[in-house]
Amino acid sequence: MNAILLLMGLLILSYLGSFLVSGRAVRGIGLPSGAEYVALGFVLGPQVLGAVERSMLVSFEPIAQVALGWLALVIGLDFGFAGDRRVRVRSVVLGITGALLTGGAVFGAVLLLLNRFPMVPPGLDRWLLAGGTGAACAETTRHAVRWVVERHKAQGRLANLLAEVSHADDVVPLLALAALFAVTPKEAHLPWHIPVAGWMGATVVLGFGLGAIAALLLGREFSLHTTWGVLLGTSLLAIGVAARLELAPLSVTFFMGIGMASVSKHRALLRDTVAATERPVLLPALLLAGASINLHALQSTRGLIAVVAAAIVARLLAKVLFGELLRAVSPAARPAGAFVGVGLLSSGAVSMSIGLVLALRFPGVVGDTVLVTAAVSAVFGEFVAPAALKRALVRAGDVPIESEPPTAPTPDATPPEAPGANIAATPASATDEAAAR
Amino acid sequence: MSANSGTQRGFGGHLLQAVLLVALSGVVWIATRAVPEFEGGTWTIAAVGFLLIAGTLLSDLVAVIGMPHLTGYLLAGIVAGPHVLKLIDHHSVTRLSSVNALALALIALEGGAELKLEFLKKGLRGLAWSTLLQTFVVFAVMTGVFFLARPLLPFAQGLTSLALLGAAILWGVMSITRSPSATLGILSQTRASGPLARFTLTFVMTSDLVVVIVLATALTLARPLVEPGATFSAHAFQALGREILGSVALGTTLGLVLVTYLRLIGKQLVLVFLALGFGMTEMLHYLSFDPLLTFMVAGFLVQNLSKQGEKFLHALHQTGGVVYVVFFATAGAHLDVPLLRQLWPVALVLAGARALTTYGVGRLSSRLAGDEPMVKKWGWSGLVSQAGLALGLAAVVSREFPSFGDGFRALAVATIALNEMLGPILFKIALDRAGETSRAPAPSLTPPPPTASSSEPPLGQMPAETTG
Repeated sequence: MNAILLLMGLLILSYLGSFLVSGRAVRGIGLPSGAEYVALGFVLGPQVLGAVERSMLVSFEPIAQVALGWLALVIGLDFGFAGDRRVRVRSVVLGITGALLTGGAVFGAVLLLLNRFPMVPPGLDRWLLAGGTGAACAETTRHAVRWVVERHKAQGRLANLLAEVSHADDVVPLLALAALFAVTPKEAHLPWHIPVAGWMGATVVLGFGLGAIAALLLGREFSLHTTWGVLLGTSLLAIGVAARLELAPLSVTFFMGIGMASVSKHRALLRDTVAATERPVLLPALLLAGASINLHALQSTRGLIAVVAAAIVARLLAKVLFGELLRAVSPAARPAGAFVGVGLLSSGAVSMSIGLVLALRFPGVVGDTVLVTAAVSAVFGEFVAPAALKRALVRAGDVPIESEPPTAPTPDATPPEAPGANIAATPASATDEAAAR
Repeated sequence: MSANSGTQRGFGGHLLQAVLLVALSGVVWIATRAVPEFEGGTWTIAAVGFLLIAGTLLSDLVAVIGMPHLTGYLLAGIVAGPHVLKLIDHHSVTRLSSVNALALALIALEGGAELKLEFLKKGLRGLAWSTLLQTFVVFAVMTGVFFLARPLLPFAQGLTSLALLGAAILWGVMSITRSPSATLGILSQTRASGPLARFTLTFVMTSDLVVVIVLATALTLARPLVEPGATFSAHAFQALGREILGSVALGTTLGLVLVTYLRLIGKQLVLVFLALGFGMTEMLHYLSFDPLLTFMVAGFLVQNLSKQGEKFLHALHQTGGVVYVVFFATAGAHLDVPLLRQLWPVALVLAGARALTTYGVGRLSSRLAGDEPMVKKWGWSGLVSQAGLALGLAAVVSREFPSFGDGFRALAVATIALNEMLGPILFKIALDRAGETSRAPAPSLTPPPPTASSSEPPLGQMPAETTG
């Protein structure tokens, strides 16, 4: 396929994506993780049809980096918020705990397996593979709850809690990614030695600093002349500088988003401005991620399939465990049963982005295995999570029942929140306004 | 580049901008010094980002002293480029040239859409006179000046008189090119409206077609002069006819498609422009059609044969802002500063002669056509700028005439650099003096403030800039 044709294809995907955030589109269509675009990319890519060649993917690497960095910026701007409301501290703690539990379980399982069956030589690669799969498997995509909420018109405390938790867990995998980039040897010629923690700190400081600079430059009034110049300029600069210093570009732009949101008095406006671009950027990025999947490493070292399987099983168990934790600490989750944890299995943008960025940075066994794991995790999550989440919400009384019998409210359940307080669905409306603008 | 003044900041605001720009430059400087050798396209991303932000900020800063935004963009590129601070290397600058395709498509679409039939009809007499005189008189005078400047031209020493005449003819053609991008850039920033803005836009956009025809003629005439063995061939005219007719036909089709799209869907025009800029331009190059003419015809058709013109223009302004910053900043980074330092005396002579001739001819043609007073006085000012079109023509000459092409191109680059820097400033001054610059506040993304306080500027900020 000609590079221009691929570009046109990506633009068409972007075009379709833009309609998924616009007001007139049917919401809740497609899959929450966007796994269908990963699958499409895989089919078009060098592994199946070969319509998109590997050399072309290499030439599209800068575009992929920009798309991934931009997505991380959007996520960073939205971090700690669900819609226009700040996520409660308890939900932030729960989100981070869930991500640590899941990522840690996957990391531990993979490391254990690699130590038991040394299919990867001991040393850095083993840690990178275990850490990479852990990072890629840690999140629950923010879109999962929104998707179920929009499709089934869910509203209530559990829906809100899960939306908040899924909005607060991205910091863990993105910090883990920063750590993975920090531990790799650097080619930077600096007059002083910087330890691993220093490089991690540099990732956070660079991102946060550029975010703060962008917010200060945008000032109080957002002139059309300045806004996009500053937003795009600082983001692209962050991605490029991070790549040159061998820091994790995703982590840098994520912290840049947080920095911008912290310093700017117009966080909501900023969020709305960039949120309208999320879906149009995400779909081409997912297609590129799918096309970048390389099964060569798994074919030559069959044991790596066990690594992928171990990661998926560990993720499932960890999410179920986290579901139980949620039920223990939150009355709203109690009626939902064991479905809560399974309902959080959906992974998407962050997982695939981490998979792709590691595949680009560490091509070969590490990168390819992590990307495959991220893709399998997304597809697996798609099969089980939305149905389980709907079931959990039905049991919690958050989904208006048509065909299923209503569940009796539990004695300790607090009264439903005021109308219009459905923060799980708020991002859609905010995005719609931005898209309309 | 869609606003007269980017932001309404006070001294403190501009100081903050300057400090933050230095801080960002420091980040890039540290990255380039820490990792001196870096291969791969990712640094091009940082280059785009830095040019975008530096261009945006510098344009705001130079606007304080009444300079056009475009000068800020060019300055950002020159300073950050491979000849001054070296924050952006040659490789990245070359890679950035791919943005040109998109920028030129947007410029041509916007240029075409800004040409309104009623204004064309009104100003037809003035347009005809100025096209006739600005083309042929400027061509003849500059051919003569170049020929007479032989002692100053290092590459002309070994040329015969006939070959020098051939080169002078080509220089004459290059002198009649103008810059649609610079014109639209200034008009977009100032949001100017009036006889001067209309005249300049109409002239500059239509002159593109004239240049294409004159160039084909000049190449045909110059070849036997430069290469004694070569014979006169009309093949160039055959190709030219095909190029022009094909471009107009395809532009008409594209215009109709755009009208239909705008009427039926009318959304996500940014993505449509991206597809046109990259995909369609590639197709036009393959077909050997002229992208500038094709897109200009399409824009003209949308404006004049449908009711979608304003919507179309609005979308173009929104998209073009960011693209133009990168386009002009890249042009600045491309500027060969050492070459300019070496050739500036002769470049200054040639640029000065061109500007003077343009001024004189402008006054004459306006008098003959009976133009409005502001056009009579300032009509020439928008015709001094030169940019991509002239550079492209110099590249063609360099390729077609290897015996003097490289020297010719170097001198052209130096001369165009002067016109590129000074032309937009002249045009903006003229628009300000003619009172055609918009005084309305710049478009903003923030929601309008409550009515009670809307008449007062925000605390700590200066009132909206009035002169741009």
